[in-house]
Amino acid sequence: MASSASAEPILEVNGLVKHYPLTQGILFRKQVGAVKAVDGVDFTLHRGETLGIVGESGCGKSTVAKMLVNLEKPTAGEIRYKGEDVTGLSGKALRAVRRNIQMVFQDPYTSLNPRMTVGDIIGEPYEIHPEVAPKGDRRRKVQDLLDVVGLNPEYINRYPHQFSGGQRQRIGIARGLALRPEVIVADEPVSALDVSVQAQVINLLDRLQSEFDLSYLFIAHDLSIVRHISDRVGVMYLGRIVEIGRDAEIYDHPTHPYTQALLSAVPVPDPEAREHRERIILAGDVPSPTNIPSGCRFRTRCWKARERCELEVPVLAVPAEFRHAAGPAAHDSACHFAEEKQVVPPEETREEPPEEPPDDHTNGGV
Amino acid sequence: MLLEVRDLHVEFRTRDGIARAVNGVSYGVDAGETLAVLGESGSGKSVTAQAIMGILDVPPGRITGGEILFRGKDLLRFKEEERRKVRGAEMAMIFQDALSSLNPVLSVGDQLGEMFVVHRGMSRKDARTKAVELMDRVRIPGARERVRDYPHQFSGGMRQRIMIAMAMALEPALIIADEPTTALDVTVQAQVMDLLAELQREYHMGLILITHDLGVVADVADRIAVMYAGRIVESAPVHDIYKAPAHPYTRGLLDSIPRLDQKGQELYAIKGLPPNLMHIPPGCAFNPRCPMAQDVCRTDVPPLYAVTEVEEVDESDADRTSACHFWRECLHG
Repeated sequence: MASSASAEPILEVNGLVKHYPLTQGILFRKQVGAVKAVDGVDFTLHRGETLGIVGESGCGKSTVAKMLVNLEKPTAGEIRYKGEDVTGLSGKALRAVRRNIQMVFQDPYTSLNPRMTVGDIIGEPYEIHPEVAPKGDRRRKVQDLLDVVGLNPEYINRYPHQFSGGQRQRIGIARGLALRPEVIVADEPVSALDVSVQAQVINLLDRLQSEFDLSYLFIAHDLSIVRHISDRVGVMYLGRIVEIGRDAEIYDHPTHPYTQALLSAVPVPDPEAREHRERIILAGDVPSPTNIPSGCRFRTRCWKARERCELEVPVLAVPAEFRHAAGPAAHDSACHFAEEKQVVPPEETREEPPEEPPDDHTNGGV
Repeated sequence: MLLEVRDLHVEFRTRDGIARAVNGVSYGVDAGETLAVLGESGSGKSVTAQAIMGILDVPPGRITGGEILFRGKDLLRFKEEERRKVRGAEMAMIFQDALSSLNPVLSVGDQLGEMFVVHRGMSRKDARTKAVELMDRVRIPGARERVRDYPHQFSGGMRQRIMIAMAMALEPALIIADEPTTALDVTVQAQVMDLLAELQREYHMGLILITHDLGVVADVADRIAVMYAGRIVESAPVHDIYKAPAHPYTRGLLDSIPRLDQKGQELYAIKGLPPNLMHIPPGCAFNPRCPMAQDVCRTDVPPLYAVTEVEEVDESDADRTSACHFWRECLHG
């Protein structure tokens, strides 16, 4: 998928912050603190590229997604779409931008209205953006979309409950595509699906990207899936990106201890790897986002933490020790003591994947 | 054999007809052994576990055939009262969602202690001491203070530790863990799996691990039983199955997961959908989705074949079995 990625950024996020105030008192509500869900996030998304965001629950990845599609207003920071900051827009200008940034949701069971037919669900965006499809043309457009996502166009009058989970997710994707957006924000689009169906949906997303020249922001907690689909990957912890780079840089040459721990904890479907794999088991739980540790926010669980980590917030940049060597370790990592560590066993220790006929992957009736 | 399930059949009566959830499942687990039961939603893996524990909803569920031998005795012939003595004391279960499995209005200390009060007739005070010991045992920091806390005051990982503590309380011989780490984050998942494996070794328990995650299975299991549409389609020692699967469904599953250590081109995807349990296809249930299916697969239900190079092995003694007419081709293909 990397082939079509160009240098032109389509989306630029700078210092994005979302704090939810915590208040006390009934009559005189005063703010006593804040849930710092997102606390300074920067990244760029290029045209035709897939940026994966990984992180554990509560790290703020879904809040970032919601802000991008304007379901949440940022507390601070800017979101630049083709160079223009869209956080302050309203009315017509906002509508034009929203048309180009669409979302696919996690749970295909709750994100589709059970009382609407599939045709109405997929066609609803046209009610808000009638310029995309004139009234008489809508039914045909919806049928085209059903066909594109691998569903029978004759299902247009059916209701969501008549479909399986994988099919429903295809409906969600068709709705996301209806307005021909340039950017799709997908928040855990396959995590509610069974393994055998998951692969079908991932392949579909892959195909649509090249077909419609889409840029994806792909949010997930499953690191294997993110690697499969992403050109670049950002790792989030407690409201911030701690490491970001090309997929091989992050997976094969991680320099941030959190990324290393996260990767080492992923179970690999290979029993032979049990013996020669080192596991970093992190102590304790993620701190509360109302009370973020000083300095480096990961220090309370980090085995390398020293005094400096408590005093000084590490910036997300190429660490000094790698700055002069152009290698895969030279990517942005927010750690004072960044060092390379291989946690995913290299590929040559395994045998080659079995040759399976790759045909017939999406049109098996789903 | 500590536990042996033989030819178990379970069906559910629903408004729309009879759903055959379990259709002749046989598996066994020894003391100190970990058996992973792998399958997607609707494969019957949890229903089998519920039947073993005796917590199946009857009705609509109904066990229509088979035996569940625990230490050689058929649990299905037990009276409910005898069954209750086995449950908790000799076999225990860990559920996926700890928050909804724990009682929200009782402190965790009371819930852990209840095990000792009910089964061992201990006083409340002694039970409380036991509860603290257990919480220490599953490494919950500050157990003495936290014993009075309620489930919602714990994080997901800690709650799952409490579930493990509760299952371990009476040192049962068998633990069934139904997707114990599915709801947890990866780093916490690793902590919890490690704890479970350690306790299992220490107490030499049999463990049935029900999961859909091929990664978790590879990490901890000794043997794997793969389920599809209420049947075991393949059963084998863990190393064999990952090296060379002997059933096309297992092979499809292994090929369709993205790998952390390699960036694949296109994922292999098993075509189609899992079958509707009210209309399981004739012949092999997997045949409409199988890339290797022949005419015989559409008519003849495949028996369990012994997967071995040696001819004429009784399949009940076999280390490895496959319910595929063409297991040889699959194994070598």
